[in-house]
Order: sequence, then structure tokens, then C-alpha cells
Amino acid sequence: MEPLLPTTVVGSYSVPEWLERLKTEYYQRRISAQHLADIHEVAIKAAVKDQELAGIDIVSDGELRRDNDVDYFLARIPGVHIPQRAKTDYFDYYDAEVTRPLPDSPDTTLELANDFKFTRQLTQRPVKFSFTGPFSLSRRIRDGAYDRPGDLVRALARRLNAEAGLLAAAGADFLQIDEPFLAGYPEHVELAVEAVNIVTENIDVTWALHVCYGNRYARPSWEGHYDFLFPAVKAARVDQVVLEFARKGLDDLRLIRQHGWDRRLGFGVIDVKTTQVETPELVAERIRRALEYLPADRLMINPDCGLRHLPPEVARRKLRAMVAGVAAVRAELTGGDKP
Amino acid sequence: MDVDLRPVKKLRESAAARSALGPIIEAVCASPADLARLRVVCDWIQYKQNFREPVVARPIGTTDTEIAVDLRRSTDIDLEAEIKHALEDPAGVALEPWVPGRDSCIWRFNALYWQALSEWEQATGRQYEQSLPGGESDARNTEAARELILELFRIWDELDARRALPDELYILELGVGNGSQARTWLDEFVQLDRRHGRDYYRRLRYLMGDYSPHVLERARQAVAHHAERISALVVDATRPGITLGFLAGKAFLVYISNVYDNLPTDELACIHGRTYLVQTQAFLTDEDADLIAGQFGLDRSAVSKLIDRLLRIGPELLSESAPGQFPAPKSAVSFWRAAWDALRLRERYVPLEGLDSYQLTPDLTGEILHSLIEADGDVRMHVSNGALSSLTGTLPLLHPFGRVQCHDLFLTGSQQYRTGFYGPGKYDGSVVNWVNGPLLQLVASRRGFGVQFAPFRQRPGSNITTLTAQARD
Repeated sequence: MEPLLPTTVVGSYSVPEWLERLKTEYYQRRISAQHLADIHEVAIKAAVKDQELAGIDIVSDGELRRDNDVDYFLARIPGVHIPQRAKTDYFDYYDAEVTRPLPDSPDTTLELANDFKFTRQLTQRPVKFSFTGPFSLSRRIRDGAYDRPGDLVRALARRLNAEAGLLAAAGADFLQIDEPFLAGYPEHVELAVEAVNIVTENIDVTWALHVCYGNRYARPSWEGHYDFLFPAVKAARVDQVVLEFARKGLDDLRLIRQHGWDRRLGFGVIDVKTTQVETPELVAERIRRALEYLPADRLMINPDCGLRHLPPEVARRKLRAMVAGVAAVRAELTGGDKP
Repeated sequence: MDVDLRPVKKLRESAAARSALGPIIEAVCASPADLARLRVVCDWIQYKQNFREPVVARPIGTTDTEIAVDLRRSTDIDLEAEIKHALEDPAGVALEPWVPGRDSCIWRFNALYWQALSEWEQATGRQYEQSLPGGESDARNTEAARELILELFRIWDELDARRALPDELYILELGVGNGSQARTWLDEFVQLDRRHGRDYYRRLRYLMGDYSPHVLERARQAVAHHAERISALVVDATRPGITLGFLAGKAFLVYISNVYDNLPTDELACIHGRTYLVQTQAFLTDEDADLIAGQFGLDRSAVSKLIDRLLRIGPELLSESAPGQFPAPKSAVSFWRAAWDALRLRERYVPLEGLDSYQLTPDLTGEILHSLIEADGDVRMHVSNGALSSLTGTLPLLHPFGRVQCHDLFLTGSQQYRTGFYGPGKYDGSVVNWVNGPLLQLVASRRGFGVQFAPFRQRPGSNITTLTAQARD
């Protein structure tokens, strides 16, 4: 049974310096794809174990196979052309383009279901599986194929919908769409929501939509408020939105009430852009503030965004602080013992 | 024996330099050195004031030796005698133990120069700006200021349209000089803002940061008519985050002019595929030590102690604490200048056991140097530790749409290290080193920033290069 105020992660987990170096070695053709795949599996096992030891209720694979939030997908989507696949650094973005419409029924998949299945057999805990959404993917593609703005986004959404079907068939029951670029293009929020609905269509799982202000190199790519997201996001067929609050402050909680958001909120209580570790008391205080706007059964507790840029030890300590803060509030709500 | 003849421009221009090559080889061959364990470097030290003798010997590890000859000064000396002298056990008065370049006392001299600038200027009779190349700072260039301001207006208008413009618009200047950059910039801002009609000036926060309270005060006076928009802060340019942590993610522009070349640096060398740290030791030649001792009525053995005390307490307090030798601050400044003029560095190459064992900055290991060092074979390069620390401390201060703009002496390609000498030299009372641009570019890139270099457009022919860093992707 799901605990009150379940804890989870947004997706990515700390990428240690040694792993970054090995990934770069691969992109410079110094180690083989098989060796890197083996390395990734070992790293994912460790990431899942770290989350379990920290007490996270719903874990992820840490997205450790991915070079960044975009290229892992673009490199596998039939019809996306990437002229140069070697990289100076693994985290750099590819230059990608489409010169003709993406095939509707490609023979190949993105193999995300295999990624999920590997993680599934590692743990008894529920697993959240996240992937980057069609709007953000489209921002990194030079579109030479579609006449109407938005058609590339829709085509990518259809591709991801097919992939979500395979994930669900593989047993995934909690999927998350990440839209890290959306905050930079608030004028396109309706298009992004339309595309989200294409992705989730007829896929019977719990759906989350994560929108943040970017986390590339542990820096926000944009600043502002979540005003742009509402009310458009209410039309998204998702079960929760996962938003950042720890870094930006709690002011935007007002939008939940103001716009009558009636589903769950993945509430960001850990700032992933600083190595300063929050205290459990601070986490608890943030949750108490959120409870002024939503009942506990509509809150899920997570960091603001992925932990990928944090050193491993800092990531572990932050997760432990988050779990401890949640435990304190749970005890208050249920009358149980404080941790 | 390797002979590394740097392909400096002067080889084509100076017949004297070319004619020195034969005698150099002859003199080396006449020396008692083991030629199988010797390398000879012929370069050209363009700084008239520098830390080198015309001929120096540098131990490489425990077995080999490098002899370096400054071609500019090689024609009027007895090469054979100089090489023999360089290979002998070092003499002179050492002012410190062997240390990495960034820890040398030359940086204490440099810091003293900025701290006691007014005393130095009084003694020399000229302001520091006159000692800059070209005799003035590039800070007064209104055209450069206008370009930057109009670009800021464009960004602010866009953010405002999205309701994402903060109430306070922060600009930071690190290393404020005499305030002329700030004055030019702010005066221009007022005019352009008036025409633009958005009243951004009211929201502007112009932060002036400098290591020297004296410099800061002088700059503050220069912009007194903008007092309500200005804050002046004592900032260590190599650790800006300590003072300016509150600015994280807020600065739309960080402007830095002629600071990086004046920050401590180590040098690393790759010789025959092995990596070495260049250690240095500041010293005075016996002749210079005797001269200074005689000039100030000192016992020769007291010279190094008094220099150390000068660097700790400055000329004014030195005069107070040793009135017998320095009856007035002016005489203590004379002592300072004499010591600075005479200051020399000897060098040696110490093997590094792996680049990761070397810290570029407290947060950055030498691992990142692999690609630069591996790309160019044998090379000796600045690590620009102070500049790196400053830049990596500054980037987090930037708003997502912010930028760093920095005018300085930058190398823009690693290959340049093979063709010229880029410091250290002496500018007036301060140290100057060209900055390792490719390294800054690489480190910024790994933090998500693109770094571009361009010639300083507003003063053609200048050695100054403009570095611009902005978030990429």
C-alpha cells in the first residue's frame, strides 16, 4: 500500500565523475558500446540501492544510461538525422535534424521497455520511469520536414505514445513526461499539452508531467513563475504535475488553489542546484506549507528535478534528509512516533 | 640534446637574434653539461621588466637540465660564461623556498602594489593607468559600452514581455580601476535609457568589486553622481562567490577588464611526454642584494627579512617599525621599488604523478588538462589558476540570460605557447601573465557556458582580446 506523502525522485541520479569520463571515452570511440552498457548496468544497480537505502518509496533507474535529457531519445527515433555522433564531451547536445516526416510505423523501438525491465527486476519497490516529452525533444531538432509549426511535436508525441504502450506492456505503471524546455517557451504551452495528451492516449498507467526551469549543468535555463502553465495544464490527461519549489520558493503554490488543480502534485522540496544539504526540518516545513494548499493524499514528495549534477554523497544526503522530513510530517498527520 | 628554437616573430625581424644561434650552440657544447641530458630553449622575452636572467638553467626532475636563452638579450653577453654560470649551484639571496608559481612571493608584491597604490604612484610620479599598454585603460570606450547596454535592453524587453524580468537588474564590475569604466557605462546607460523609455535605470544595481579599498574608494568618487545605483564591495576576484553569493543567478552582466592577467598562476610543462609542475624560487642576485643593502644602510643578511616584513605590513608600517633604516614611508617605498626591480625567479621542473594529483583550483583537478596537454605534445603553459578560479566563481552569478565580458591578454589557441613567451613579466609594480584562453574555454564549457574570443574591436592593433561567456544550449 502506498504510504501517505510517498517519496520519489524526478528521474536522474548523481552521475559520478568517473562515469562521466567513461561516457566521454565512449563518445570518443575509446571504449566499446558493450563495455559502456556493462558499466551502466553496474551504475544503475548502485543508484537503485542508494535510493532504497535512503528510504525512497518509488525509485528510478537514475537515467544513468542517458548522455543527456535529449540525445538518448533522438538518437533512437527513426527519421531523426544526426550527422556527427562523436562528441567532445558526452553531455554535449547533438546537432539533429529531420528532413522528411518521421515514419508513422517504424520497425524499430526506442528500447525504453528494456531499460524499464532491467530496473524492475532489481527492486521490490515501485518504479517510476521518465522520458523527455515531445515538445522539449523538438526544440533540439532542426525541422526541415514539416510545414505547420507543431507538426514535428505531434509526430514525436505519436512516437512516444507507441513507446509508452511498450513500456506499459512491460509492466510499467508509473510514467513521467519531462518537459525541461517548456518554461523557455511559455507561448507554446497549449501545443505542449496537446502533445502530452497524444503521448498518454490509451495508455493506462499513472501519468506524471514534470515541468521545471531547466537543470542543465545545475543551472536554471530560464527564470519566471509557473503562471504560464495554468490553466492550460488542466487540459493535460495526466494524474499529477511535478514542479520545482525548493529553489524558487513556495509562492507558486497559490496557483494550485487559484486554478483549482484537482489532481496530485509532485512537490519539489530539495534544491538540486546547490550542494548545500537541506535539513529534515526545512523539508518538513516546506511540506507543511504545501499542506495549506492540498490535502496530504494529493501530495507526492520529490526533489525539484533530477540529481544528476550533484556529487554522489550529496545526493544521498539530500535524499535521506527528504525522507526524514517526510517522516516527521507523516508522524504529525497520523499521530505516529516522530523519527 | 634537444634544441627548442621557438619560432618567434623576431627570428625573422632580428638578424642579431639569428646570429646568436650558432654561438649559443657552441657555448652549450663548451659547457661541462652532459649533452645527452640537456635541452636548450631559445625564446624571446618581450617584457623589458621581467624575472629572468638572459641565460638560466632549469633542472628537469633529478637527471636532466634545460638551458633557456633569451634571444633578445643574447647578443651583448658572454654566452659561454653565462651558461657556465647558470649551470653552477644557484647563488644569490633566496626570498622563499621552492614553491609552485602561484605561491611565489611575486604575488605578494603584486597584492602590495594594489593595496599601497597611492604610495607607489607618489613615488613614481605617474598613475598606474599610464603604465598600461597604450597608456590608458580601454574602460572609457563609449562605443563598447553602448553595444553592451543596447543588448541588455533587448534581453530585458523580452523578459519583461514574459513577466520574467526581475525587479532589480544587477550589473557587476570586477576590478574597477579608477572608476572610468563605471562612469562611462553609467553615463551612457542614462542617456540610452532615456531614449528607450523603459526607466531601467531606476531598477539598476551597479556593483563595483575590487580587491583594493583604495582603488574602490577612488572609483566610487568617480561615479558619485550615480550614488543611488552603486554599491562598492571589497571582493577577492579569485573567490567572488564569498562576497557575492547573494548575486547567484542574478547578474545580467559581469564586466572584467585587465584583471585575469594579474592573478596568480602556475605553469605546467610536458617534456618528452611527461608532465611537470614548474616550481619557482624568488631571489636577488648577490650583486643586487649588496646594492640594496648599501643603498639603505642594511646588513645584507637583513634584506630578505625586511622584504618579507614589507610584504606583510606595507611601506608605511615598515617605516614606523624600522625608522632607523626607513625614516619616512617614502624611503620604505624606495626599498620596495628597489627590491621589485631586482627580483628574479629561478625555476625547476618537478614531475607530476598523474594530472589528477594536481589541483587547478580547490574544486577542479588537473584531469581536465588531459586534452590540452595531449593535443600539443611538448608544451609549457600557464594554468591561470587565479583566472580559472575567478571565472568559475563568476559564472554561477549569471542570470540565465546574463553574460561575462572580459577584456584581457588571452591566448586563444594552445599552439601559441609553442611560438612565444607570455609571462610572467612586470608591469610597473604588478605581475602580468597572458591568460590560457583555451583552458578557460574548456572549463566553462564543462559548466554549460560557451566562451568566445574576439579582438577588442574598439582599439585595433591592441593585444587585448574580449572574452564573452554565456550559457549555451
